[in-house]
Amino acid sequence: MSTVPVEYFLIVAAVLFVVGAVGFLLRRNLLVLLMSIELMLNSVNLTLVAYNRLHAANHAGQNLAFFVIAVAAAEAAVGLAIVLAFFRVRKTIHSDEANLLKN
Amino acid sequence: MLGNQFDTKDFALLAVVLLLPAIGAFVNGVFGKRLGKEAVRLMALTAIGGAFLASVVTFLSVPHDGGRLSWTVWRWMSVTGQSGNSVPIDVKFSVDAMTATMMLVVTGVGFLIHLYASEYMKKDPGYHRFFCYLNLFCFAMLLLITGDNLPVLFVGWEGVGMCSYLLIGFWFDDEKNARAGKKAFIVNRIGDFGLILAMALLVYYCGSLTWEGIDNSKLSLLAPVKIWPIGNLSKETLPVFLGNIIIPDKPVQVYAATLVALALFLGCAGKSAQVPLYIWLPDAMAGPTPVSALIHAATMVTAGVYLVARLHFVFLLSPAAMAVVAVIGVVTALLAASIGLFQHDLKKVLAYSTVSQLGFMFIGVGVGAFAAGFFHVFTHAFFKACLFLGAGSVIHAMHARIHDTDRSQDMRNMGGLKRFMPITRWTFFASCCAIAGFPLTAGFWSKDEILWSAFSNNVVNSKAAATPRMAPYEWPPWLGQAIYWGAILAATMTAFYMFRAYFMTFHGNFRGWSIVRGWTDPHAGHDHHDHHEEHDTSKPLEGPEPHESPAPMTAPLVVLAAFALFAGFLNAHPIHIAPLGHFLEPVFKGAEGFVSEREGAKGLMWVMMAPGFAAFLVGTAAAMYVYLNRAGQPEKVFAEKAGGLYRLIYDKWRIDELYDATVVGMVDALADIFTMADKWFIDGVLARLTAMLTALAGTLLRTLQTGRIQVYAAVMLLGLGGVGWFMVYPHADVTADDTSLRSTGEVKLAAAPGYGYTFRWEGLTGTDSQLTERSAVTVRLQPGEKKNVTVFVKNAFQLETSHTVALERPGLPPGAKAQSDGKGAAPPNVPGMVRPDIPTGEIPADDIHKLLLPRGADQGNNKGAEK
Repeated sequence: MSTVPVEYFLIVAAVLFVVGAVGFLLRRNLLVLLMSIELMLNSVNLTLVAYNRLHAANHAGQNLAFFVIAVAAAEAAVGLAIVLAFFRVRKTIHSDEANLLKN
Repeated sequence: MLGNQFDTKDFALLAVVLLLPAIGAFVNGVFGKRLGKEAVRLMALTAIGGAFLASVVTFLSVPHDGGRLSWTVWRWMSVTGQSGNSVPIDVKFSVDAMTATMMLVVTGVGFLIHLYASEYMKKDPGYHRFFCYLNLFCFAMLLLITGDNLPVLFVGWEGVGMCSYLLIGFWFDDEKNARAGKKAFIVNRIGDFGLILAMALLVYYCGSLTWEGIDNSKLSLLAPVKIWPIGNLSKETLPVFLGNIIIPDKPVQVYAATLVALALFLGCAGKSAQVPLYIWLPDAMAGPTPVSALIHAATMVTAGVYLVARLHFVFLLSPAAMAVVAVIGVVTALLAASIGLFQHDLKKVLAYSTVSQLGFMFIGVGVGAFAAGFFHVFTHAFFKACLFLGAGSVIHAMHARIHDTDRSQDMRNMGGLKRFMPITRWTFFASCCAIAGFPLTAGFWSKDEILWSAFSNNVVNSKAAATPRMAPYEWPPWLGQAIYWGAILAATMTAFYMFRAYFMTFHGNFRGWSIVRGWTDPHAGHDHHDHHEEHDTSKPLEGPEPHESPAPMTAPLVVLAAFALFAGFLNAHPIHIAPLGHFLEPVFKGAEGFVSEREGAKGLMWVMMAPGFAAFLVGTAAAMYVYLNRAGQPEKVFAEKAGGLYRLIYDKWRIDELYDATVVGMVDALADIFTMADKWFIDGVLARLTAMLTALAGTLLRTLQTGRIQVYAAVMLLGLGGVGWFMVYPHADVTADDTSLRSTGEVKLAAAPGYGYTFRWEGLTGTDSQLTERSAVTVRLQPGEKKNVTVFVKNAFQLETSHTVALERPGLPPGAKAQSDGKGAAPPNVPGMVRPDIPTGEIPADDIHKLLLPRGADQGNNKGAEK
């Protein structure tokens, strides 16, 4: 079994992160924004576990990835709840409509 | 006797005298409104009446040998004296003959006036407030006269000032009254400044503030004090033309006693309304009439005379200060009497008469006749209180016709009142006689003694011989006589204006009918004085007629008038009946040796009484002719013929206007300047400009707060990129440690470490060609050498950067030995720095003496050695 070089993982992670970041910046749908955040978080996870391969004796990277997953889950729960509440108020999930505090 | 039950050293009965009015003030002030007028009246009268009874017991307990009753309450504080000694200040009260007499006046006259006021103020909504203030005043006044030291006196002094302020402005709805109160307070502050100054001087020179302590160490007040030039001002420190003018050849010196006495007198002049601080007292008549009688005639305003008499031993040490007191007294007496001549307001006449009489008191104490001056305080309290209360009774009656303050006090609206109010008329007449000096009345005896003392006394500082450092001031022989004739003139005017007031008010026809013409309904409005159910239809009457006041108001009048007539026999020295005089004698025994009878005045006592009696006769006769026989016609003629002078006198010589133009104007201008500074600089620049800048910054920054998440996210990303770039790019930061550059020429260079950094140094002696892990190097420089060291840094991403450090070692100073090894080289020559030439290394034994030589000599030697 040939080993996949670590750079491949990093490239995939970078691509994922850029996709997530660009999606977050350009889209206005709150659900899509949440998904973009998930993408960025997971790209970080990928980077963490990929680097962990270089230091096989040390599991810090993998541990951190678990933490990120847990935080991501919590974030998704809270985020979806906020989106739902927002929808009830404004009847839309367009992020530009979240301007009640402005003015 | 009850008094014997108290120890003279622990005379706690004073607590009753002092605390009863304080309790009265507290109860009336806090609960008065709920208690109702009857209870307030009861409380106030009980408080002051009880204090009077306790005062009588105290008076009877005072030893006749000059001893005093004292009561120490607690140690208040202590201050540090001139030589670092502690000067204790106790809350201590003491009573001697003078204080006891004064206590009787304050509580006795105070009680009568309380009684009078309980009726006079009956309809006033501020009844409880009035009696709270009045009781508080009595408390403060008793504190003032019983205090055993200056600080306790000062507390009372300020207390009466405050009560005076509160009572002048009692009807503060009217702005005129509030202004009068303010004026009184501020003018008094000027005087209080002097009193505080005197206290500080006494602590410095005498190391004590108690009466006994000052008396014991009074001779230290004979120290000369240089008052000009001040500080180290001299002809040398000033421009020549200025120095020749303002710096005298010999420094101006005065006795410390003169300074203390004049500072004290400034306080007294403020409180007792003397020139130039008398202006507040006439305005103080804006207060209710009982207040004028109690505070601004009988008691508070005599506090200044009391203080001079109390500290007579200080004043006697300075004949110059005594002369100032006496001259100010006579000037005040003349000025105030002249203003009183043509006033129309009854209370104004009495006010100026009070100022004038206070002037007489100061003549008395100023010429060393302390007992006489104090006796005039005593008699004046009776006849002036009686006059004021009589005036109050008249105003009370006039209120039946008019409720306007000014018009009800205007004598032009009175006249013929003797028909309506006989008791007031007779008591007023008796007091008029007393103040004008009708023989055998109280005012005759007291004024006559002052006049005689002014004529005959000579004040000499007999103790100055003990300290022959400076010649003391000596009274010129004409001074006493000048004061005497000035006082005679003032007495003539007094008789004239008092009887003018009497005739205008009580004689002739009642001119008040015209005030309310066509007045018909007697029961309309809130007129409480109309007891005129039985109309006498024969009179030209429209509306209510004036009437006699009720018994609580007339009773005090009768008592006071009796004293005004007969109190003089307590101190009638010419006929050798002077029980009060003998009682007071021990208090003023310190005056022995200072005050002597002038040459050429012997045996003239009965002769010099004649001008005094003539003053009464002339003044009274003139008033009678003008206002009784001619019904005031000559005054109108005079007003037409000499209109300017008449108006000038009527406008009080326009002294108030003069003060407005000078002192008040200056203070106002200063206040305006500060207002401008406040408005433009503080408010404008500091406050508004700062706020504007902050608002501008806020406006700019607010544009960044769009509220769109995407914008925030983009900024976050930018920041993330920045942090990333910082991580990736190498940084060549070099810190140079040049602490030993001057001594050895060594500089330690250290480059900041970083992840995966390798370094290459250039400019060192052995330049690196390879990148190494070496992050710190040491460079050594020769004196005057310059060197550039560059470090190249490469990081893990193979990026490279560099940083160059310019190093320079200063050259050796000229003449210093160059040291090739770089050790112990002399530091560079910094301009302005004085640097000892200390040889380094081992000093040869022969050279050690050079270290002790001055710098120039040392260098000379060095040069010589080099040659």
